[in-house]
Amino acid sequence: MQQFESTQEYVASEQLMASVNVAIALKKPLLIKGEPGTGKTMLAQAVAKSLGKKLIIWNIKSTTKAQDGLYMYDTIQRLYDGQFGEEGVDDIARYIKLGKLGEAFDSDEQVILLIDEIDKADLEFPNDLLWELDQMEFYIHETKRTVKAKQRPIVIITSNAEKELPDAFLRRCIFHYIDFPDEALMEEIVRTHHPDVEENLLKNAMDVFYRIRSLKDIRKKPSTSELIDWINALQIGGIPANKIKAELPFVGVIVKKDEDLEGLQQRLN
Amino acid sequence: MRCETPAERNGISMFTKFFYTCRAKGLRIALTEWLALQEALEKGLAGSSLTEFYYLARMILVKSETDFDKFDMAFEEVFKGVQSENEISKNMLRWLDKSELIDMVDEEDRFRMNEQDGIFTDLDKDEVEAKFKERLRDQDSEHNGGSFWIGSMGKTSFGNAGGNMGGIRVGGQTGYQSAFQVIGARKYRDFRDDRVLENRQFQLALRKLRQFSTKLDIPKTELDINGTVDKTCNNGGCLQIVMERPRKNAVKLLLLMDSGGTMIPYSSLLNDLFQSVNKSNHYKDVKVYYFHNCIYSKLYKTPECENGEWIDTEWMFRNLDSDYKVIIVGDAAMAPEELYSTTGNYRGPNGGLSGYEWLQLMKRHYRKIVWLNPKMAPGHAPWREAETAVKAMFPMYKLTVDGLNQAMMKLISNK
Repeated sequence: MQQFESTQEYVASEQLMASVNVAIALKKPLLIKGEPGTGKTMLAQAVAKSLGKKLIIWNIKSTTKAQDGLYMYDTIQRLYDGQFGEEGVDDIARYIKLGKLGEAFDSDEQVILLIDEIDKADLEFPNDLLWELDQMEFYIHETKRTVKAKQRPIVIITSNAEKELPDAFLRRCIFHYIDFPDEALMEEIVRTHHPDVEENLLKNAMDVFYRIRSLKDIRKKPSTSELIDWINALQIGGIPANKIKAELPFVGVIVKKDEDLEGLQQRLN
Repeated sequence: MRCETPAERNGISMFTKFFYTCRAKGLRIALTEWLALQEALEKGLAGSSLTEFYYLARMILVKSETDFDKFDMAFEEVFKGVQSENEISKNMLRWLDKSELIDMVDEEDRFRMNEQDGIFTDLDKDEVEAKFKERLRDQDSEHNGGSFWIGSMGKTSFGNAGGNMGGIRVGGQTGYQSAFQVIGARKYRDFRDDRVLENRQFQLALRKLRQFSTKLDIPKTELDINGTVDKTCNNGGCLQIVMERPRKNAVKLLLLMDSGGTMIPYSSLLNDLFQSVNKSNHYKDVKVYYFHNCIYSKLYKTPECENGEWIDTEWMFRNLDSDYKVIIVGDAAMAPEELYSTTGNYRGPNGGLSGYEWLQLMKRHYRKIVWLNPKMAPGHAPWREAETAVKAMFPMYKLTVDGLNQAMMKLISNK
């Protein structure tokens, strides 16, 4: 059996690797939860790379329906074509377009299917996919064709915990929660991205970062990737370390919401 | 017939006990998940260490980080007596190994099944599963009188666990609190228990709360018949389809209800309100949470306000943006220390802030908040210290149909 291992760009914790391998072994979807910016989406890329498989990403939006992932029947195009007497209008299959899930099923090779940010969709969305994810097949009514997975894809699902997911759906998943890195680990992560970062600058920036994260009413907590960007900005700007706490230079890199910036200003004054 | 050794019997019941302990702690583990764990163990995914077993069991059985604590408690309770990891893993392997289950079906049994089925060769997975299910059923009736399987979880044991946790927190006040909880356990009614209520007046008041918008960020999914006819005519009869966005109410509603002891007399009134909100399907989103006397760092998902059945108030700030229109329902009859002291919350955590500070955070975060009070004093009542303070912070209305109407107008107005 193929085993997932850390890649050069992505350092996975033991537990995370175990979850991925258990999910593959049990043929169940892997549900990854965690704050934004903890590398949930990157995980799927790392898994695909580590196993040498193709990655298919299905980005979920608030308007995404389960059906979108299966197939689309472009009736309007067919209507237009009918009006102008195009060739092949009677061939419905021409107007059936497979969605991301359908694409993953239809692939000859085993693929990694990432269903990204599933909690963005309607509450019913995960339930609508239960059968398809269980049985790895669906039926196209218009052409009376059953699309069945040639090779069962490895399904990775991410969620930001914006909405609760239905029980029936959760029961079928393997669950892993990516903890927010503590300061020691964070230092390590920052150093892999900026190996030559100055000691004092890093310390001051991290202090501010964790202080902002600890504010109770912050609307969007700054994430790992934002800290890395911020340190990058501080380095390029040549900001002396002792000014970081007092002036919060480039703070817009880690605090993105107007309301949060206002709150921060109020606290400073 | 081969006899089970005591250790084996002990082991199996320990594993089964783990299942029940998890459920007793409030983890709603279903048989499918339990069997998935069996399958994983059969495939050797736990290796031979307890730690790996811990993570394996957790990733399969627990589906939310908020439940990790319950799982830890159950795990500790079942496995704490065991001395060292080595010792445990030996034991564990013995009872966890699926072949053990196969062994349970002793030779005689096999022989008998052999004779019955005729084609029997070896126990396959399905049969082991069936055997396992059977065992679970048997075990159940022995240990728990079947109460775990039917209906929801044992509320009592659940409540007890919550009580224990609370007890640790409050220390000196336990006597008062436990008495209170006993009362609470009987009196609090889950507002969701669907009593059919005809409360049109409340519903009508809630209907006032709507802002239709076609400017929402949604795709054009509805056929615009007039537009289509126009365009097609303009196009010389060649069909040209026009789509439009559906008209949708853009209002998002957040309802926070006090379910503290002093609210008990108003529970039927609150129930009416809850039912009306729940039935109003014309909002874009409705969220309902409960608090106990005052808002602190946790908001409860059920009116019983059990420890553990909660969300972080900070989570709410992060995920429910300032567009939500907030209705807080409560009598604002906290004792002054419940409002102003950082140790005022005797029931749960407060995140280092007093109730008053949490209310200020609410006010700072949400643009539109109204407070509905079922026993608001008419006029100025300075002797009601907390009520006066809350009234100064939020527009407060009496929880009557009239008050609700006024509150809705306040929420929808631009002022």
